[in-house]
Amino acid sequence: MGSVTDIQLRTLYRTLLVFATVGVVILAIGLIQFAYFERPGQASGVKANIVGVYKYDPAAGQTTGPDRAEYARNEEFAAVVDWSSIPSNLTVDARWYDSFGSIEGEVGPGTPAGLTNDKVVPVQVPPGYHFVLPGRYTFVVERLQDGVPVEVLGRRFVLVDRT
Amino acid sequence: MITSTHPPAADPESKLRPSRYGIALAVSALVIVALIASSILNYVFLDTVPGRTSLYGLLAVALITLGTFILVRAYNRDRATRRVHLIRAAVLIGIGVLLWLLVIDVFLYTQSAGPGVAAVCALACLPTTAFGLWVVRRMDRNHKEPWRLVLVAAAWGAIVATSLVVWGETVWESSAQHTLVPGPGLDTSLAFMAGILEELAKGLAVLLLFLVMRNEFDDVVDGIVYGAAVGLGFNFLESISYMTNLYSIFSPEGFGGVAAGIQWYGRQVLGLFFGHATYTAYIGAGVGIARQLPTMRMKVMAIGAGFIIAIAGHFSWDAWATFFPIQNTLFGLVEIHLRTLIMTGPFTAGLIALLLFGIRYEGQNLLDQMQKEAATGQGAILPQEVPILASPWQRLRQRLQALNRAGPSGYLRVSRLQTAQLDLAMERWHRERKEIDTPLEAEQQLREKVIQLRHWVAA
Repeated sequence: MGSVTDIQLRTLYRTLLVFATVGVVILAIGLIQFAYFERPGQASGVKANIVGVYKYDPAAGQTTGPDRAEYARNEEFAAVVDWSSIPSNLTVDARWYDSFGSIEGEVGPGTPAGLTNDKVVPVQVPPGYHFVLPGRYTFVVERLQDGVPVEVLGRRFVLVDRT
Repeated sequence: MITSTHPPAADPESKLRPSRYGIALAVSALVIVALIASSILNYVFLDTVPGRTSLYGLLAVALITLGTFILVRAYNRDRATRRVHLIRAAVLIGIGVLLWLLVIDVFLYTQSAGPGVAAVCALACLPTTAFGLWVVRRMDRNHKEPWRLVLVAAAWGAIVATSLVVWGETVWESSAQHTLVPGPGLDTSLAFMAGILEELAKGLAVLLLFLVMRNEFDDVVDGIVYGAAVGLGFNFLESISYMTNLYSIFSPEGFGGVAAGIQWYGRQVLGLFFGHATYTAYIGAGVGIARQLPTMRMKVMAIGAGFIIAIAGHFSWDAWATFFPIQNTLFGLVEIHLRTLIMTGPFTAGLIALLLFGIRYEGQNLLDQMQKEAATGQGAILPQEVPILASPWQRLRQRLQALNRAGPSGYLRVSRLQTAQLDLAMERWHRERKEIDTPLEAEQQLREKVIQLRHWVAA
C-alpha cells in the first residue's frame, strides 16, 4: 500500500505542478500585457504645464475661483492646460479618470496646436446622474504613439468628498 | 463518564517539532512586525480612513491572534487545564471582536455609510459566509475538521489577512497612480498587486495553521478546507467593505441599496466559492500535499506551486474581467454569470479535481489502516465495522439508526465513536508514513478512547 500511496501522492504533486505551470504562463502574459501598455524607454522628458484645477460653470463654459485639490460632490470642476508648454510635433490628449478608472471627460487626441481652443477640460457628470461620483480623480496629459497612450506628461489628483 | 482526552501532541524527543515551532514563531513575529509597521506607517504617512483603522485596530488584531492561538492549543491540553485555556481564549477573542467591530464601525464604515448600513451589510454576509463554511467543511467526507479550527481560519482571513494588506496595497496603488499611464497598464499593475499581496496575506494564515496545528492538518483535503475557510473569511470582510463603500457613493443618486445589493450578490452568492475561496484553497492544497511529501525540495515546490496558482487565478480575474463584454441589457445578467463561470470556473474545476482525487486517496488509505487495525484484534475497530466506517453514507445511516433507537444523545455518541475510530486510522496512516511526531503512546491512548466510547455507546 505504501507504494500505491506514493504513486497517488506523486500524481497529486505533479497535477499541482502542472497547474502551477499554467499559473506561470498566466503571470507571464500579464507581464507582457503590462510591458505593452507601459512601454519601457518612452520617457521624452517633456512636462506639460497643468495650470490648475478650478470650479467650473458648465452653462458659461468657464472656470472660476482658486486652484483647488478638493471639491464637494455637488461642485463641478475642470483642469486648465497650457498646451503651448508641449512641443508641437507630439500627439497628445488629456483625460479625467474617476476612482473606478472610467474616463469622465477628455479632449484630443491631437497636436498641442490643434488643442489650443480646448485648454479647459471639465469633468463630466455621468449620464443620468445628478453629481460627479465621489472619490479620487486623476487628470493626465498623455503622449500617444500609434493611438496608444505611452507617457504621462502631466498629472493632477483631485479628491471629491462624499458629502 | 469519559475522562480520556486527546493524546499528548508532542514527543519531547521529536526533532521535527522544535524546527516547526521555530518557523511558526518566526512567521508570527514577521506578521506582527509587519502589522505594527504597516499600521504606524499608515497612520503617519497616509492618514487615510483605512490607515487610521489599521492603527486603532492593532490591539483587536493582537487579541484575536493570541486568543485563537490559545484556543487551538487548548485542545492539546488535558481536560483539567483545557477549560481554563478555553475561557482565556474566549475572553480574548470576545474582547478582540468587540474592539474590532467598534473600530471598523467608528473609523471606517461610519464615515463611509454609517454604522447602520455597515451592520446590515455584515448581517447580509453572515448567512452566506456561514453556508460557505458549512459546505467547505462538509467536503471533507472522510475526516471532518473541527469547527474551532475552521472558524479560526475564517477569522484570520477576515481580520489578520485583511489588516496585513492595507499598507502594502495603499503604497503600491499610490505609487502606481503617480507613475504609470492610466488605463490597461495601471489596471494590470493593480491586478498584480491584489494577486500577490492578498494571496500572500491569506497564505500566511494557512501556513501558520499548518505549522501550529499539524496534527489536524492531515493532507491535501484538509489543506483545501482550511485554505477555502481563510478565503471565505477574507471575502466576508471585503464584501462588507465594498458594499458600504458603494452604498455611500451611490446613495445620493438614489440607488445606494441597489449598488450594495449587486455587490452582495456578486461576492456572496456568485463569487462565494468562485473567488477568494478557490484561490486560497490552492495554497492550502499546496501545503496539504507538502505535508506528506518526503523531501524538503518537493515540499517547497508544492507550497510555492499553491501560491503561484492562487496568485495567477486572482490576477487573471482582476486583470481580465473587464475585457469580458457585459451589455447594458437584460442579457447582461446572463453575461455576468458567464464571465464568472468562464474566468474563474477553470480554477474552481481544477481545485475540485484535486479535492476529489484527495478524498479518494485519503479514503483508500484510511480503509487500509482500518483493515490493519481490525486485524490486530485489539477491539478498537471491528472487522464488520470497516465497510461502515469507510462509507460516509453508511456512517450516516448508522448514526440515524442510533437516533431512532436512543434519540439525539445516541446519535452524538455514535458520531463520537466514529470520529475517534477515524482519528485512530488517520494516526496509524501518518505513523506508517513517518510523518507524525506524536509518541506511540498517543496511538494507544486513542485506541483506549475508542474502546471506552464503544462501552459508552453500548451502555
